Amino acid sequence: MADNEDTGGPSVSEPLDLVRLSLDEMVFVKLRGDRELKGRLHAYDSHCNLVLGDVEETIYVVEEDDNEEETVRTIKKQEEMLFVRGDSVVLISPQA
Amino acid sequence: MSFFGFETKLPRDRDGSGSKGFFETSDPFADIARAHALEDDDVIDFEDTYDGLGDQLPDDQDEFNDDTFGAGGADTSVGRDFDFFGKTAQVSDVIGEEQVRYSLQNPNSARVAPQPAAPAVQPAASKTKRSGYEKYSDPGYIPDLQAKSSVWGVSQKKPEPVAAAPAASTASRKMMSLEEVEAQMRQQGHNTSTPAAEAFMRSMVDSQYPQPQHLQTLPDGFPPVPPEFLHAQIKQGHLPPGMPHPPPGMPELYGGPGPMPPGVPLHMMQNANLPPQSMPPAGPRHVGPPQAQRPQQPQLPHLPQQQQVPLPNRTSANGIPVITNPQQLRDLTEEQRNAYLVEDAKRAKRNHKIFLLSRGNGLMTPQDKNFITRIQLQQLVAAAGNVADSDPEAVLAEDFYYQVYSQIRGAPRQHPPPTPGPLRPDLSVSDGQQARADNHMQRMQQQVQRAVEAAKAKPKNKQLIIEGSLGKISFSNAKAPKPMLNIKRPDSSEGPKPKKQSDLSLSDRKSILTNLEGVYSSLMAMEDMERTMPPPPEEGDAEAIQVHMEWRQKLHSLNQKLWRSLKVMEPIVPNSTTPHPFIAFLSYPKGKKAIPRIFRHIDQEQRVTILTMIVVHLDSLDVVRLAQPVPGEAQPSLGVREAIDLFSLAVMPCLLGYVNEAPFNIIIGLLGLVINQTHVQTVARTKVGLGILTMLLSRAEIVKEAGQASEHDWQQWVQKFNILFDTLELGLNDIFPGTISSGDDMYVWQFLAAVGIGASPEQQQRLVIAVKDRVMETVSYSKTLPADMGSQRLSNVNLFMRAIGLDVELLG
Repeated sequence: MADNEDTGGPSVSEPLDLVRLSLDEMVFVKLRGDRELKGRLHAYDSHCNLVLGDVEETIYVVEEDDNEEETVRTIKKQEEMLFVRGDSVVLISPQA
Repeated sequence: MSFFGFETKLPRDRDGSGSKGFFETSDPFADIARAHALEDDDVIDFEDTYDGLGDQLPDDQDEFNDDTFGAGGADTSVGRDFDFFGKTAQVSDVIGEEQVRYSLQNPNSARVAPQPAAPAVQPAASKTKRSGYEKYSDPGYIPDLQAKSSVWGVSQKKPEPVAAAPAASTASRKMMSLEEVEAQMRQQGHNTSTPAAEAFMRSMVDSQYPQPQHLQTLPDGFPPVPPEFLHAQIKQGHLPPGMPHPPPGMPELYGGPGPMPPGVPLHMMQNANLPPQSMPPAGPRHVGPPQAQRPQQPQLPHLPQQQQVPLPNRTSANGIPVITNPQQLRDLTEEQRNAYLVEDAKRAKRNHKIFLLSRGNGLMTPQDKNFITRIQLQQLVAAAGNVADSDPEAVLAEDFYYQVYSQIRGAPRQHPPPTPGPLRPDLSVSDGQQARADNHMQRMQQQVQRAVEAAKAKPKNKQLIIEGSLGKISFSNAKAPKPMLNIKRPDSSEGPKPKKQSDLSLSDRKSILTNLEGVYSSLMAMEDMERTMPPPPEEGDAEAIQVHMEWRQKLHSLNQKLWRSLKVMEPIVPNSTTPHPFIAFLSYPKGKKAIPRIFRHIDQEQRVTILTMIVVHLDSLDVVRLAQPVPGEAQPSLGVREAIDLFSLAVMPCLLGYVNEAPFNIIIGLLGLVINQTHVQTVARTKVGLGILTMLLSRAEIVKEAGQASEHDWQQWVQKFNILFDTLELGLNDIFPGTISSGDDMYVWQFLAAVGIGASPEQQQRLVIAVKDRVMETVSYSKTLPADMGSQRLSNVNLFMRAIGLDVELLG
């Protein structure tokens, strides 16, 4: 890259700066409680509170049938806009 | 009957139906016996509680009452010489009207004989804190009254000739006839004074009229007892020396509508063993000492007396005398009476209005008002921060999104940055209101500033070292926690630096996104700078010029930063597999969205650079590259369509805005670039590509129409245009999106129109031949569509047809 110290572009100085790169992009968010979100990242803050648009939420439910066999059922939900409280966020990943 | 919780009932009465309401009293004379019996009853020993002041009164001077207050009762119309109260009290108009109104409602009450001894009792007794307008608003006023009196358990209707025989008490359970009452009274050995007795009798005669309840309807606003009156009372010895003069403000103190019994019968005051001081001001003040031992004073029957108190000096503006009793009204001529009634209605109306306005009076305590004032002051300070504060941060904090939005949209600034400094002497007189508001705000601001400075001036000790102690106590708070570690940071220049990515990763996703964020950071910084723009410097103001220069310097460096982040000037690598950084930048939605904001902050040269960059890479733009029609698919995927729409909405207007002002040679150059650098047929198969071509062609046409093009330039243009035409001709049928039924092909017709206008007649013919099939298809197809859609399609075709001098109508 041709730019040196004084060129534009925010230098990555903390982990959340990487999240910033995904602003307005599709991201994959893993949440506590076996939930996953895929959506466009509109906003975030230092607590990892997120605002996502066009979100698809996936909930994994483990069910045990009579034979003690575990089956994983997924529930999918579609949300137009979602506010995610940061304390439930496990990871944020760009969904390239 | 209970006053101040005092049980006044006789034991034998207690088993009755309890306290009776105002109108519930079946026997108006029951209390005669009761009150009389009270003396004998051992429940209350009056002598124990009475201070004996009444004994000091010279009884024989009672005769002078007549001299003072006029003839004693025989004369029904007392006359105007009896204006003691009227002279001394400055009664308001409202009260007079109330009296009139009452008189009209109870015309008979006026006939009741006056009782000379206590003419002022009524006004005083009625000194309740009522607005006095209730009557106007509430026709059902009397029931309310009723409830009030029943609270007090007092029947005002009951005259209290305490002279009733004890024996009568049982008899009086039933209604007595007048004769019976008279007989009873004569039986009494008590020394009833003649006028009083007469008055009583008279009141008996008229007692079928519910006279007294009007007392409560009398408005407040009766002035405190005039001093003259008090003097008179003292002269007559009616005011005992031990009795404190009631302060003039007293009525207000007893202001609540409830607590003060209006027209509490005096016998209650007299009989109750209450200290005089604790009585409501109405009673003792005007009655003089308690006179229970001489119950010859039936105080109540004279109640309507007040109606006859003439109020001289009160004449309404139009010469109609103010009427205070119905008799006066009767004396008037018909005309006068009518005029009076009209007048009265007017006043009533006005009073009602006043009442409506004053409904909220007294709702807020001074504390409440203080509270509200504080809130308002706070808001004023905040507002001052908004307008007069030189700190733009405050403006921004107030409504960030509005500020940014209006900046981007180029809306006029709502709050131009104010001149720094606390005072603005440059305010012209014309905006005086603004100036005044500013003055307030400035004052407020200065005060706040002083307060802040004072707070700052307070020494801030980080530690507290108590003398003699071994340790020290350091303060910390949430904002400035106690530092536990003190590690020196290595200088940033020394620290290990993550090496920037190599050229190879220039167009990888992460670096592009980093560039994008860099662009947005610069954009925000520049937009912020714009808000803090110093006022244009005046001639000779060196300091202002200096400030302005510094500001421009900063803005320029930000501009450079933005420009570098955009990567527009990155060298173009021909035939490289990775797109140019700027084109990659544009492939992100946020990159497209940034363009309008960027264009505001860059100069023309930078704009033409961007436009050139886009034109050169036209076929590698995502909106062109990905929008190539795929065989078998009517239109590009949803994501691509969204990108195209966004590009058309965000980027194209900026480019168009520039192209419309661009000099002709630049247009020629751009068209040459399209022909030489890009795959024209690929470009032409997309909406964006066609859009840009249309843009260039139509600009050239406008230049030609305006005659601004030099011959040489025009020759160049025609040459380039011919190349373009030849290149396109073969693929003209491919520039239409999908099949004929797939809808939006307007931009194609627009492009064809732009080509057709600039084409030579020979080219036009070739053009018609090339697209003839499509034209015919569209025309026939439009006939199968609903009328409005069909005409839409036809008019699209007509765009092109008209450009070459034809019309769809000609096609039949």
